[in-house]
Amino acid sequence: MTIDWATVAIQTVNVLILIWLLGRFFWRPVAAMIEQRRVTAQQGLAEAAAKRDQATAALAEIERTRAGFAQERDAILAAAHDAAEQARATRMEAAEKEAAALEAAAKAAMAREKVEADKAWADRASRLAVDIAGRLAVRLDGPAVRGIFLDWLLDAIRALPEPARQAVTADGVTLEAISATELDPADQDRYRTLIGEAFGAHPPITFTVNPALIAGLELHGPHFALSNSWQADLTRILAELSHDNRL
Amino acid sequence: MTSPLTSVALFHLGPVPITTGVVVAWVIMAVLVIGSILVTRHLSLIPSASQAVFELIVDTVDGQIRDTMRVEPGPYRSFIGTLFVFIFVSNWSSLVPGVEPPTAHLETDAALALIVFVAVIWFGIRAGGVRGYLATFAFPNPVMIPLNFIESLTRTFSLLVRLFGNVMSGVFVIGIVLSLAGLLVPIPLMALDLLTGAVQAYIFAVLAMVFIAGTVSEGQPAPDTSKQRTPP
Repeated sequence: MTIDWATVAIQTVNVLILIWLLGRFFWRPVAAMIEQRRVTAQQGLAEAAAKRDQATAALAEIERTRAGFAQERDAILAAAHDAAEQARATRMEAAEKEAAALEAAAKAAMAREKVEADKAWADRASRLAVDIAGRLAVRLDGPAVRGIFLDWLLDAIRALPEPARQAVTADGVTLEAISATELDPADQDRYRTLIGEAFGAHPPITFTVNPALIAGLELHGPHFALSNSWQADLTRILAELSHDNRL
Repeated sequence: MTSPLTSVALFHLGPVPITTGVVVAWVIMAVLVIGSILVTRHLSLIPSASQAVFELIVDTVDGQIRDTMRVEPGPYRSFIGTLFVFIFVSNWSSLVPGVEPPTAHLETDAALALIVFVAVIWFGIRAGGVRGYLATFAFPNPVMIPLNFIESLTRTFSLLVRLFGNVMSGVFVIGIVLSLAGLLVPIPLMALDLLTGAVQAYIFAVLAMVFIAGTVSEGQPAPDTSKQRTPP
């Protein structure tokens, strides 16, 4: 076994050249690429961390804004609640006033209706009373009553002013004497005479019957009328009662 | 079959004989360099599958340097990595029919051991200067100077013998088996030879790192860390 020192030298040079060449063309480029990737990855991580911090800050800002929104929402809700409460109170007050007005109006209407009812009932009672009185007065239609009504008619004629009496009897005006029942001719002549004496003249007088008078003797002319009967009295009384009821 | 203990000169460049080991070494060098140029021609941040494989190789070498030498791998990457790759490819070149690994010849292993010996001195002087490097021989005390000096020679010799013995024996055994039973029988031995070749490449590179790391760390001005003496 021998060793060839020339071959040793050649192989030494070979290996040294190979170390240099591989270092030049393989180890350094690949290592540089790894380092470049590492730096790039670190930069990416740093940028990602920075963006994450920015996102965190933005998120915090959003949280603060949301908290502001919540506060603003609470304030708006409180203001809306107050406004609603105020509006409710206002409407309640207005409703109470309106209800009070309606109540007052209803009470007034009820009072008016009561008054009207009272008047109606009073009027009805008056008419009933007059009707009752009229029915009772029918039974009083006798000679005495007719005499009394004749006297009342004569008194009324005499109470007329003189010019009025003359105007009634002027120019041959025919007067109409109305009674509730038929007068016999003697009574008609007697009545005609007494009435003529009361007027101071003797106008022609016709006699008619109107049972609606109940009792009494009325004298009518073209421009003249003397109401003297139970009907006239009852009508007047009813009018007075009705007038009183309307007051 | 020629003896692996002898080198056959294919031709002569003047007085210098060019042996088969040298020619195979040149071919391996050409393959590695051209392959490296092709690989690193289109490097990109987003690696292809092949680029990822080569980056994995570089990263693994860097990791080994960090783990073994406790230093940043930059200054040592090319040296250690190239030693490993060259020895690995040389050992596995026996897969090519008719090719004998350069590392099966004593001259190539001697050249590699010589390079490691010089590299230890070079890196030791660069780390701590000449005085610092020489001081490493007096560690832990001056009495150890002769022993440390002998150790620096013997460990280089052990590198040479270990690599040569393992590779040469593999080639030798396979040659004997091939001469006895050429079909299928040598395959397990060839597989074992491949495993041995890979392990020997790794061991050679690791020992080179250990030798350099020992010198560099001992040559540091403030050696606070625990010292490790490497076996010869």
